[in-house]
Amino acid sequence: MTQRKKYAIIINAAKCIDCKACMIACKVENNVPEGFWRNWINVLGGENGSVRTEFQPSQCMQCDDPSCVAACPVQATYKQDNGLVVIDPEKCIGCGNCVTACPYKARYRDPVKKIADKCDFCEDRLQRGKEPACVVTCPTKTRVFGDMNDPADPVAQMVKKEKLVQIVAPHINTRPNIYYFEGTKLLDWAVTPMLPGNVSMPREFWKTVSTVK
Amino acid sequence: MAATKTQMISRRKFLKLSGALAASTAVANPCRVLYALTKDSGVKNLNEIREVFSACDMCFNKCGLIAQVENDIVKKLDPNPKSLKSRGMLCARGNAGVKQLYDPDRLKYPLLRKGARGEGKWQRLSWDQALDHAAEQLDKIGKQYTRCGFLFMAGTDMQSTFVHQFAEAYGSYNIISHESNCLLSRNRAFLDTYGVMPTPDVLNCKYVIMPGANRFEAIVTPDTMDLMTAMENKSKLVVLDPRFTKTAALADEWYPIKPGTDMAFFLAVAQVIISEELYDKTFIQEKTSGFEELREHVKQYTPQWAEQETDIPAKDIKRIARELAKAAPSAMVYPGRRSSDYEDSTQIRRSYAIVNALLGNWDQKGGLLVPKKVKPGSMHLEAPFYEDNPDDRVDAGMAQMMFGEEGSFKHTRDAILKGEPYPVKGWMTYKTNPMQTGANRNKTIEMINTLDFMMTVDITMSDTAWMADLVLPAPSYLERQDPLSAFLASSTCSGVITRDAVVPAMFESKPVFWIVKELAKRLDLGEFFDYTMDDFRKEQLKKIPEVAKAIKEDGVYNITGPSYGLYKGKPFKTTSKKIELYSTRYKSKGIDPMPVYKSPKSIPENHFRIVVGRNAYITQSASTNNNLLWELQKENHLWVHPESAAALGIKDGETINVKSSAGKVTIKARVTKETRPDTVYMDTGFGVMSNWLTNIAGKGACIAEILEDRADIISGNMAMHETFVTISKI
Ligand code: SF4
Ligand code: SF4
Ligand code: SF4
Repeated sequence: MTQRKKYAIIINAAKCIDCKACMIACKVENNVPEGFWRNWINVLGGENGSVRTEFQPSQCMQCDDPSCVAACPVQATYKQDNGLVVIDPEKCIGCGNCVTACPYKARYRDPVKKIADKCDFCEDRLQRGKEPACVVTCPTKTRVFGDMNDPADPVAQMVKKEKLVQIVAPHINTRPNIYYFEGTKLLDWAVTPMLPGNVSMPREFWKTVSTVK
Repeated sequence: MAATKTQMISRRKFLKLSGALAASTAVANPCRVLYALTKDSGVKNLNEIREVFSACDMCFNKCGLIAQVENDIVKKLDPNPKSLKSRGMLCARGNAGVKQLYDPDRLKYPLLRKGARGEGKWQRLSWDQALDHAAEQLDKIGKQYTRCGFLFMAGTDMQSTFVHQFAEAYGSYNIISHESNCLLSRNRAFLDTYGVMPTPDVLNCKYVIMPGANRFEAIVTPDTMDLMTAMENKSKLVVLDPRFTKTAALADEWYPIKPGTDMAFFLAVAQVIISEELYDKTFIQEKTSGFEELREHVKQYTPQWAEQETDIPAKDIKRIARELAKAAPSAMVYPGRRSSDYEDSTQIRRSYAIVNALLGNWDQKGGLLVPKKVKPGSMHLEAPFYEDNPDDRVDAGMAQMMFGEEGSFKHTRDAILKGEPYPVKGWMTYKTNPMQTGANRNKTIEMINTLDFMMTVDITMSDTAWMADLVLPAPSYLERQDPLSAFLASSTCSGVITRDAVVPAMFESKPVFWIVKELAKRLDLGEFFDYTMDDFRKEQLKKIPEVAKAIKEDGVYNITGPSYGLYKGKPFKTTSKKIELYSTRYKSKGIDPMPVYKSPKSIPENHFRIVVGRNAYITQSASTNNNLLWELQKENHLWVHPESAAALGIKDGETINVKSSAGKVTIKARVTKETRPDTVYMDTGFGVMSNWLTNIAGKGACIAEILEDRADIISGNMAMHETFVTISKI
């Protein structure tokens, strides 16, 4: 029996040079429409007056308790056995509930396909035996991708060896599968999601968590 | 500028990676096949994908790539993990290459100018009409003004060699490259010191001081990636730059040095190293010449003195000098790339070269290297002799030590405008865009207006094409077969790469190799191009059959193994056969044999110095209109320090006037502490004249419009940091 996978990405933000190769690679791989992105780089400081000091890449965290899944009225968004949170394009009605339900602002409504969309760790590539587009293209290999359930996999080993942290929203913990090296500066950009009133959320969501792990 | 004087950032603590992983970033092998296709994993029906090797051409680095082709459409470009020079990466521009191929703004067929130059009125021609017309003009101008009356200019491209060969067969000495707008003064300085242009082994270096270069934004492979790997391995990076670039942001220390004073900094570093005897005496004795002269010469350049010039505290200069010496020979002054900044830019780079020599890093791990390389063969061209030709290039003698084979764009343009020493009335450009990259755009327009005929071969309607009389469409790099191209890659040594067409050429586009062959036929020069690309490659591969095999299997040929310690006991190719701290050659030409510091011209009141630079999403003017990259940057801005902006009442985002003696533009201000109060900056590649570049037409401003055209006295390289501008509200 093949073991269940649990895909994860570990990010060493100190290595990111903000070249945005990962953003363009993703855009091409996944046909992301103009004006939208599935991944991004958070920059500390920036535009007016203050100076940049760190660049922090991110994308959908393929959460274990995904609020987006809970917010979907038609179960178009669901979590797969391999850990990926995906959207069934046939089922999605494009209501956008999940878009505001994500604490990481990882989702958008695709204006062309008229459905919700987001990063799926390039599932098509995984099936072809390739790593996600953002991972392979990176000049400094800031992201490391792999299967947490495979003890031989670099990510599983890094979780054991390194001090890692996660980015968790102020009021809920969706149990993300993206990890950052401890010392990463910007760990505060997640927001309290806006959940639609008619969606009932499991109680465990509403725990107060400040830092994690 | 007291405010910036002590400002320095020292904050980066590196996050350690576990051994196994750190090793896997040092050698590029990231593309593990992770998960095989399994039946029970809910696999969707996936289309068949064909994978084709090629090399990126979105900038000059030629990173290895694997095109993903689905139903004859290039869907995606993936990095080639076997390409050691690019360390298995493709940058944002490399990923956006699909939109160079599938770009609605591409040139589709030959065009003849109908209205006035630059008016944008065109008439479609067939290829036969276009080539007949071009050949007729080449013939006419050659007869009337001699063959040297036609100027050829080709950018950095694997087919540019054919433009050069055509120019030789046609009989013109007037061939220039883009390089005189870029890095020739750096090459000059290192060549005249070491007899060769060495490559920095950033990967193994323990202490890198980077004056001016912005390696995390202006990507040079493998230096960009190696710098990060080196820092991960605890090497130290010190950046001197008037701007807070992303390289500065990630450095251990950043000093907003006063522009134009880098030489003062390095002469003071030399003074400390020499006076405190921090150098390797055996190395200095065995490998350098002129040490005693240098010792005397730098006595005057104390750190206290340099502090006044550079705005960098003397104690830091001293400390950095000692730290460098301590880390030596695995320490370096990074030579940089673009050096088109000051009128003494060669001498500035000489000061870098000299400090490197004092660090004894020549041929050392983590120092300056000359890797082994393979040299592909070439078709031998016995150029015909044209009796009526003048003796030399049109720009000959206009700089003290110009590279004859590169020329100088600035001096050539001046000579053409003057009509002396002889008239030049024709111009062919291939994939280079001096209208955007050559300082003083108005002068370029003036020069074009003196010509009888100008033709441009390019992929899109660049500003240079916009001014031409005949515009010929070239295919992108994904649609053509190229010759082999050798590259140097420092610590990973070097290699060879090539391209085959990933997909057939679109529209009526034709490679420049085909174009020059057709022109040659029409000019009775057909015998010089009596071969196909396959023949050419065969000739290139004659003595290196192993290259062909590797390229077929891996898409790239890498020479591996350490590239240091290769020159033990070998003489240098200089007059003294040693590293020339003191250049007798310069002396004999009346040039300062050691760099003599002159303060940069002081900035007049109410003026700012404008500097040139780059970010990671643009290759000067060649990529700003790209559909994908344009999303990252839709226009450029003038960076202005908040203090200066406040004094002028300028707000962030406000459209302002920028004026110099060369021209005037309007552009939005970006009010930011990321530049010094006395320095302003804008990206290259906007403010285009060509409204066929539909994404960026009407957006931002063109820096070439306001840059005055000065030149480095020694090499004739353009000097682009000598311009002062005023800025004002509209
Ligand atoms: S990051 Fe957002 S979109 Fe992704 S799984 Fe978590 S909640 Fe859903
Ligand atoms: S590709 Fe890598 S270095 Fe570039 S922005 Fe993305 S994560 Fe950062
Ligand atoms: S650095 Fe970027 S643009 Fe340049 S060749 Fe490499 S991938 Fe292409």
